[in-house]
Amino acid sequence: MGRFAFVGKRLLALVPLLLGIVFVVFLLLKITPGNPAREAVGLRASPQAVAQAARTMGLDESVPGQFLHYLDDAIHGNLGYSFKTNSPVIDVLKPQIPVTAWLIVVGVMLSLLISVPLAVGAALRPDGLVDHVVRGLSVFALSMPIFWVGIMLITVIALPTGALPVGGFGHGFLGHLRAIVLPALTTAIALSPVLVRSLRATVIEVLESEYVSAARSLGVSGPRLVRRFVMRNALSPMITLLAVQTGYFLFAAVIVETTFNLPGLGQGLVSAVDNEDFPLVQGYTLVFAVAIVVIYLVADVVVALLDPRVVVEG
Amino acid sequence: MSILPATDAFVKEPVRGGRRRLPSWKLAVGAAIVGAFVLIAIFAPEIAPYGPLKTDPLNTLQPPGAPGHLLGTDDLGRDELSRLIYATRIDLPIAAAAALLSALLGTLLGMAAGYVGGWVDMVVLRVADLVQAFPIYILLIALVFALGAGARSFLIAYIVVDWVVYARLVRGEILRVRGLDYVLAARAAGLPNWRILFVHVLPNTIGQSVVYVMSDMVFAILALSAFSFLGVGISPPAAEWGAMTAEGQQFLGVAWWLTVCPGVAIALVALGLSLIGDALQDRMRR
Repeated sequence: MGRFAFVGKRLLALVPLLLGIVFVVFLLLKITPGNPAREAVGLRASPQAVAQAARTMGLDESVPGQFLHYLDDAIHGNLGYSFKTNSPVIDVLKPQIPVTAWLIVVGVMLSLLISVPLAVGAALRPDGLVDHVVRGLSVFALSMPIFWVGIMLITVIALPTGALPVGGFGHGFLGHLRAIVLPALTTAIALSPVLVRSLRATVIEVLESEYVSAARSLGVSGPRLVRRFVMRNALSPMITLLAVQTGYFLFAAVIVETTFNLPGLGQGLVSAVDNEDFPLVQGYTLVFAVAIVVIYLVADVVVALLDPRVVVEG
Repeated sequence: MSILPATDAFVKEPVRGGRRRLPSWKLAVGAAIVGAFVLIAIFAPEIAPYGPLKTDPLNTLQPPGAPGHLLGTDDLGRDELSRLIYATRIDLPIAAAAALLSALLGTLLGMAAGYVGGWVDMVVLRVADLVQAFPIYILLIALVFALGAGARSFLIAYIVVDWVVYARLVRGEILRVRGLDYVLAARAAGLPNWRILFVHVLPNTIGQSVVYVMSDMVFAILALSAFSFLGVGISPPAAEWGAMTAEGQQFLGVAWWLTVCPGVAIALVALGLSLIGDALQDRMRR
């Protein structure tokens, strides 16, 4: 199978998955207790007003009809209207996307900066001193609640030094950067133990492979061996690994954004939940789910392009 | 009872007969930590100096070490230590129930899928696929939202998402074990299916699940406190570690103990459970 066929096949497999996601998100509203039309017009509204609201919201249709309607709207980028403010859901979400994107990009970079050296160090000598220290650190880091790590960073770094903001997103590029350092570090501390664990296993596997033995027998060793032979072959599993952790990453983003009062998608989701704003919550859930699926796809495609073996096996 | 998975050595005499090994330091430390917390939860009213909701307007935001308040007080004058102690009665049972009920449901469905096979297997697998196709953390948040805050919602949402892992683990093990000699022998001897399943097959297939329950409880306790921190789990004024941290965050600059203490409690329990899980995993590997 060629590379393009592989990409095409993955794209096709995406369609039922996306449909399933839209369906589950649609169902969420159905299983939620309470009458959305009543919520929209308020508790004191007359029965006529409620019925009218139900009609405008399409609630008088059959359930399959409502689903098709919802699907059609979603495809066209219409995710409904907020109960509280009446503004289109998509308009509420849009300005929050860059904030979360900042957090994720800087967070991933910091995670790699932390986890790659630790994982390689541990893998070079399994059961050695470095390995034990790294594994011990991972267990510790995994035990700490994410929100608490964030608060501790505020208490220990932001408050005493005053060098970094306690919360908010700041202004301008430098302001954003300063505002994102601690949240990104928190996310990285949460994600690194997971990454280190799998990366360590990957690197050990690569180190035991025949081409590394061959390179070693040719006299390649030390940093050159790690860079040219080990890291190169550990790269594609690493991308897959990162992609698989996207869901966890977004979960962490929800918590970290709330902790640091960052106006991103995660904080938006939490405040929508607080406000019982169903269409908004639906919108966030859908955007998160689709983002995760798309990131899986991109990762698969990138790995396939980097590493021809994947396509042959697939 | 040994938690070793069935190997050929066990076919003649499954389960019983695992050699006793010295408990590792991980198991000892982990069990000590978790055991201490369980005891604290059981004897909370006897240990805690005050009630968890007892306010004291004259002694608000007292630092740790203030007379009568070992870990200080919060903005309402509630004793921090007492609240931490009483929180064990919320965090521990809910987290344990979330993991254990998921394990129970998943094991039963996995057993049915693996042993009965046919359409039962297919239905269980398809539903599992559906749950797993969805990003689980987002599903968890959405479910908790749809069901409303509170312990019951958290439990339901958690079980809906989590049973899948156990079902897959147990199903896979059962498929591996059910063709082994001792199961065939039990069948040939005419033992009823339920007896074969529960007495002969199950004990040899749940090893991995037992290990997983430990990390699952770690995750459940972190998830519960995170949801409570976000305001969609256990709501204040109930003493719950995540909710306490959220309340304390308003007083970061003036009362660090209100955020430091609950986090340390969560991390300690999680660490204890991880150590036990690690020790069990080490045992299985050997």
